[in-house]
Amino acid sequence: GRMKRAAPRSTLRNLIKRHKPQLRLAANADLLVHLNFLLFLHRLAEEARANAFENKSKTIKSEHAMVAAKVIK
Amino acid sequence: AMAPRRKREPALPSSLVKKIFSHYVKVPVARDAFKVVEKCVEVYFRQLSNDLEAYTLHARRKTVEEADLELLMRRQGLVTDKMPLHVLIERHLPLEHRKLLIPVAMSGNKVIPHK
Repeated sequence: GRMKRAAPRSTLRNLIKRHKPQLRLAANADLLVHLNFLLFLHRLAEEARANAFENKSKTIKSEHAMVAAKVIK
Repeated sequence: AMAPRRKREPALPSSLVKKIFSHYVKVPVARDAFKVVEKCVEVYFRQLSNDLEAYTLHARRKTVEEADLELLMRRQGLVTDKMPLHVLIERHLPLEHRKLLIPVAMSGNKVIPHK
C-alpha cells in the first residue's frame, strides 16, 4: 500500500549518530530501526485510539496521546 | 522577543511522523495531539539509541548488527515465536527493503523447469 514507503535511511542514521556519535550501524541495521520505529508508532496509534474511544471521542486529542505514551513506555 | 533559534538537528520530518501516525490511527487527530506524538518520537529515539549502545557494548562490538535489533524487538514483545521478524518485515517494509533484509525470501522465486 501507500504506507510502505522507503525508509529515510540517512536521517535515521544521523538521528542515532546525534545521540551516540561513536556507535556504528551495520549495512542494513537502519532498515530494522525503521521497522521498529513504524511498530512504535503503530502501537502508540492503537493505544491513543483505544483511549479516545474509551472517552467517547471521535478524534485523538493530546490527552489521549499522552496516556498512550505512558502505557507503551 | 523570540527565543534564539537552535541549531538544526537531524530529525524525522514532522510531515512523515504525521503521515505514518495518521495511517495507523485511522481517526482524525487534533493538532496538539500531533505535538505529543512528535515528543514521543524524540523520546523513543533517545531510548532506542541508549538500548542499542548497551546491546553492542555488551557484545563488545562498536557496530549495531541486525541481530541487536531482533533481540530488542524480542524484548519489546514485537518478535515472538509466533511472530517472527521476517513476517514483520514483510508486513511493514517495502519490497526494496525486504530484498535487502531477507534475500532468502527472494530466492523462493525459483524457476522450476516445466516438463
